[in-house]
Amino acid sequence: MVLWLIVCALAAWLLIRIGFGYPPLAHGYQVLRRNEVALLASVSEAMFPPGGHIPSSGLDANLPDYIDRWMSVSSKQTRVLMHLLYFLIEHATVIFPAPGRAGRRRFSALDLDQRVAVLQGWGESSLYLRRLVFVSLRSILTMGYFAHPPVLRQLGVAPFAIESPICEADLLYPRIGARSTDIAYTADDLTTVRDDAPLLPGSPLHPDFSEEQS
Amino acid sequence: MSAGSVRVYADYECDFSEDVDVVVVGSGPAGAVTAKELTDAGLRVALIEEGPPFTPQDFEIDGAISMARTMREGGLRMTQGTVMPTMQGIALGGGSLVNSAICNKAPDFVLDDWCEKFDLENTTLADLDPHYDAVGEFLGIAPTPEKVQGRRNLLFKQGCDALGYSSEPVLRNVKGCRGSGECFTGCRTRAKQSMDVSYVPAAIRRGALVLTSARVESILNDGSKATGVAGRVVAPFTGRASHRFRINARAVVLAAGCMATPVLLEKSGKLANRSGQVGENLQFHPGVAIMGVFPEDVHPAFGATQGYQSKNFLRDGYKLETLWAPPSVLAVRLPGSGMAFKNRLADFARSAIWDAIATCNRSLGRVRTRSRSMTPSLVWRLHPEDVRILTRALWTLSEIFFAAGAKSVVSGVNGIPDEFFSLDEARMLTEHPLRDRDLVLGGNHAFCTTRMHGNPARGVVDEYGRCHDLRNLYITDTGIFPQCPSVNPMWTAMALAHRSAAHISAEL
Ligand SMILES: Cc1cc2nc3c(=O)[nH]c(=O)nc-3n(C[C@H](O)[C@H](O)[C@H](O)COP(=O)(O)OP(=O)(O)OC[C@H]3O[C@@H](n4cnc5c(N)ncnc54)[C@H](O)[C@@H]3O)c2cc1C
Ligand code: SF4
Repeated sequence: MVLWLIVCALAAWLLIRIGFGYPPLAHGYQVLRRNEVALLASVSEAMFPPGGHIPSSGLDANLPDYIDRWMSVSSKQTRVLMHLLYFLIEHATVIFPAPGRAGRRRFSALDLDQRVAVLQGWGESSLYLRRLVFVSLRSILTMGYFAHPPVLRQLGVAPFAIESPICEADLLYPRIGARSTDIAYTADDLTTVRDDAPLLPGSPLHPDFSEEQS
Repeated sequence: MSAGSVRVYADYECDFSEDVDVVVVGSGPAGAVTAKELTDAGLRVALIEEGPPFTPQDFEIDGAISMARTMREGGLRMTQGTVMPTMQGIALGGGSLVNSAICNKAPDFVLDDWCEKFDLENTTLADLDPHYDAVGEFLGIAPTPEKVQGRRNLLFKQGCDALGYSSEPVLRNVKGCRGSGECFTGCRTRAKQSMDVSYVPAAIRRGALVLTSARVESILNDGSKATGVAGRVVAPFTGRASHRFRINARAVVLAAGCMATPVLLEKSGKLANRSGQVGENLQFHPGVAIMGVFPEDVHPAFGATQGYQSKNFLRDGYKLETLWAPPSVLAVRLPGSGMAFKNRLADFARSAIWDAIATCNRSLGRVRTRSRSMTPSLVWRLHPEDVRILTRALWTLSEIFFAAGAKSVVSGVNGIPDEFFSLDEARMLTEHPLRDRDLVLGGNHAFCTTRMHGNPARGVVDEYGRCHDLRNLYITDTGIFPQCPSVNPMWTAMALAHRSAAHISAEL
């Protein structure tokens, strides 16, 4: 009976820890769940905190939206691994608690300082597997951080505007998803004089990354 | 000969079959060259590619999204054993769509070694030179011009010059490069002569039938010879299978890449494996990179993706290169988290990243086939002696950085300080005991899983790519290299494919 009670209490605790108390979603996501959006927002704030040499923070870069888009074009296997990774980070505080008060709360419920310390613990762990988990998580977040146009502009590494010339291959292949009969180009459209001027620093930026777009 | 044609995913409406002289599986550098040369010889050729063709409108500039679309396993493929990411393209043009277009001939001492150790009689540099040159002329392989080098590449030359190390502008298969540094996500200027804009159109012009989004799943054979291939049409990106196809042919050429070809052979009833070498001997050029931070702006976004290199240390086991990729991909190599990491990223504008690839003949692995999937499982281990080559290479890169005026270098190596502010401090790279798992590795050059060997008991193909066991089955991808080539492999793969094609057409 006592054992039964303990099992029930444990199950209830697990259920509450895993599923309850997450804020409602601001909008629909294709792949991410409510708890994952909360986790990713809290990790992004800890990984790229406000202040420092780059004005944009992880929260400004809206990483959950980016990661949702990335996961939606990734393979099923990759998606499963990513979901597992988020689960691990959110709940591994049970085994590797944050310093300070109530350090065993789920990651997304920790204070910013605690979250920063937990991430540092993963990154500098003497356990290879923990470091590997950390690098995977950081890579995912960094991909999103660098997809935020203001970050790339602030770093001076935003992509340039380029007009692609029409070449023989464009008469052979349609855009992905279209049929061969949809190819609109003919030999008359081939670019005869190509612009081969170097894209020097200061050249116009790709429209999606220019100041006006943001 | 009349012009051929291309079929894309939306064109397929039902199951189909075709009869040709030769079917080539895979449209990367090896397959595309083979197909074009065979059509030039007047043969009816079908070139089959699992990935779709990409137009510039299909390219994604964002690193992760681009990888998810152009690379197998979304660019997240890893080896087990020593964990190392390894990227393989899935697109018309294979790896050439996303690679940096670096072209190097394998050094004569490497090819001599291949001949001696693997009983090869006709694979010296002198034997391959005509084939290298034919490919070089077709693709316009030439040194990267100064006007698109950018500071990031020229600092490397400056550092090498100061130390008396030889260096040179990289030879590339490029026409009219504008220095966008975007080779990794697809060349929007259409300057890079990836296979989809060079060899494949030429093959089509001469009559080749190109089937894209078509995955070969088995090699048909009657026990003594290959009779064709069979497979399924697959949707771009999701890989969802639909219509079936069958291509009957007098000869079959596998150029599916050194990780997919062994899987195909295994799934076709352990074909061509009397030697037991199919899937064995997996080798890489593991790479390491280091970031140098300069006192003033480097503007790293401008310049040919990889414009300068040094072969000064080839005989010591490593080659040095400049490097650029989407910043998100490069940042994976940097250490730290939180504010320290964020502030390190802020150094990007004043930084250059250079890398080394190593000759690691002792570090071996294998490609394993999974029962319900065409995705291989990879096991590979970096030999402790080869760790030493890589740390030595990191030290040399640090030397070059400081000689070029860098104020610090950031190695990303675990177990030592994140940043070194002098060469003296950087000495730790060679003096501190480091293990494979301390290094941030990447291995995009892979070879040897169906290696050539003069002795049929010890290799899968002969030096012309013909399988020892099935005389009309050929392999031309980098799996046939008997050892790693010590330099970027694409040109050697194309030269060998060029030679194989001549051999196949003579046989048919
Ligand atoms: C990011 C990156 C940068 C690189 N940079 C350079 C460089 O600058 N210089 C250099 O020399 N090398 C470089 N490399 C390596 C080089 O690209 C490869 O060595 C080269 O592409 C190998 O050619 P391949 O023809 O053997 O195979 P691949 O290029 O891999 O082509 C194999 C093709 O076969 C297709 N395929 C696989 N299985 C099937 C199937 N079952 N049915 C149908 N099709 C199938 C694949 O989709 C693929 O398109 C780089 C690689 C990467 C990933
Ligand atoms: S550097 Fe840019 S322009 Fe030059 S080949 Fe690469 S992608 Fe094309």
